[in-house]
Amino acid sequence: MNLTAGFQIIVNGMATGGVYAIFALGYTLVFSILGIINFAHSAVFTLGAYFTYALLGSQFGFNGLLARGRLPFGLSFPLALLGGAILAGLVAVMVERLAFRPLRKRGADPLLMLVSSLGVAVAIVNIIQYLFGAEPYTFPNILGGLPGSVNLGTPGTPLVARTVQLLIAGVSLVILALLTVYINYTNTGKALRAVAEDATTASLLGINTDRLVLLTFFLSGFIGGIAGTLVGLSVGITGPYFGIAFGLKGLSVIILGGLGSIPGAVLGGIVIGIGENLVPAEHVGYKDAVAFALLFIVLLVRPQGLLGRTQIQKV
Amino acid sequence: MAALLEIHDLAVYYGAIQALKAVTITVEPGEIVTLIGSNGAGKTTSLRCISRLINPRAGDIIYDGVSLLRRRPDEVVRQGIAHVPEGRRILSRLSVQDNLRLGAYSRHDRAAVRGDLDEQYVRFPILAQRRSQLAGTLSGGEQQMLAIARALMSRPRLLLLDEPSLGLAPIIVRDIFRIIRTLNAEGVTVLLVEQNAQLALQTAHRGYVLETGEVIFAGAAAQLIDDERVKKAYLG
Ligand SMILES: Nc1ncnc2c1ncn2[C@@H]1O[C@H](COP(=O)(O)OP(=O)(O)OP(=O)(O)O)[C@@H](O)[C@H]1O
Ligand SMILES: [Mg+2]
Repeated sequence: MNLTAGFQIIVNGMATGGVYAIFALGYTLVFSILGIINFAHSAVFTLGAYFTYALLGSQFGFNGLLARGRLPFGLSFPLALLGGAILAGLVAVMVERLAFRPLRKRGADPLLMLVSSLGVAVAIVNIIQYLFGAEPYTFPNILGGLPGSVNLGTPGTPLVARTVQLLIAGVSLVILALLTVYINYTNTGKALRAVAEDATTASLLGINTDRLVLLTFFLSGFIGGIAGTLVGLSVGITGPYFGIAFGLKGLSVIILGGLGSIPGAVLGGIVIGIGENLVPAEHVGYKDAVAFALLFIVLLVRPQGLLGRTQIQKV
Repeated sequence: MAALLEIHDLAVYYGAIQALKAVTITVEPGEIVTLIGSNGAGKTTSLRCISRLINPRAGDIIYDGVSLLRRRPDEVVRQGIAHVPEGRRILSRLSVQDNLRLGAYSRHDRAAVRGDLDEQYVRFPILAQRRSQLAGTLSGGEQQMLAIARALMSRPRLLLLDEPSLGLAPIIVRDIFRIIRTLNAEGVTVLLVEQNAQLALQTAHRGYVLETGEVIFAGAAAQLIDDERVKKAYLG
């Protein structure tokens, strides 16, 4: 293996792994507060990609209600990415209000909330199909005048990476860094951790727990939407079911890293991302098997995941 | 003088089980009032009603002239009531300092919050030594101090304490009760739930004795401590 190939594995691994990590964090945030896996997260991921696509002013496909239309304006990529993420966050907030809160207030079994989130996922996928059609969408070139690949080495020892991959890795790392700072060092972040540990006590400290649950869903949808856009940039939007396969990958990431652990989600994402990119090009069909093989092996040795607490329990 | 807190005919059910039956308690500003009684009498339930963690089926809770029943727990804190729950419930995965800061979550006067933080460290020197330690690694006594200090960070007018002596060595219990008296002298009104009736009645101005969800005796602490029936049942 030469230097460039090794370098590309790292860049691609960071890009894939970074996206896995931010996507998986969306599950982790909700899990650590409510103790449930929000299956609607993968549908919000899909929506994020469509939202950004639309905000770029690109033309819709040939099927669906919006066929051949486009927004009367087009935003630059950074703004469209942000806008798509905010819209995805707002959808996640609606999911909490409509699908989770009513059940929570009645003290429903977590299993019911899980089923409810699956129902929401199916509904969102159907709405997407109704609006945008079932066909794949390809993002326009968002790099503008930038070259498609850059050499970060010297002419003698080239280290070439695709610009899009660098962009994806960069955006993911920035999001991870911002989220880490937000959760660990701001007052609101500390309050989120308080609610995650003990919601009743948090409310006795003057924390409005319902509002923080909404904030958690917003953050989860926001980063899920960004992940959707980034994956869409890399491989295109494959259709309304875009997020479903990715959702399974995200689940293996959080289980590998340790359910409910934020550093675990990040580590799990990077491990699976790099692991997949180690698969040689001629065996690319086995890429998806890597995630599940890694998961299987780790769980044999550490059932609680890489950074999970020894017991998975919610009191 | 208008009462700071008036609980009228409070009735609480857990499913079909009645935990409180027509409980009436008043707390005047500046008082230490204690609520004593044996296990399962309904002491914790009473405090949880005041903090709005549970809904009574009947009765009312008037604080500062206004009913609390339509408020959320976080709004009750903003009204000036701080609750130190049974079993301390410190946030074990956050540092001591972060626990204290969260105690001031409802406040927006940042400079004053910093001043209050320093004040807690003076009042509880052990917490100053442990400020960057995870709260879960504190000893039981230190956790109780942290729980009280955290409650004080909201600058309460009324402090609800649920069994602060639970599981602590006598010397630590003495410290904690000394702090309760000091706080009261500084103007904080206290509603103190205790199983250690002797100590509670020595500390409080007035007391209520709760048994299976009903107030069976009420009066000045000095009278209750000499009452033959109270002595027999609760003072051993
Ligand atoms: N969540 C609950 N579900 C059902 N019953 C409960 C619940 N909490 C308390 N109870 C019941 O309500 C009654 C009063 O309980 P409470 O905790 O208020 O007693 P307490 O006076 O604080 O007792 P202790 O001194 O043991 O703390 C008890 O009979 C208890 O079993
Ligand atoms: Mg109790």
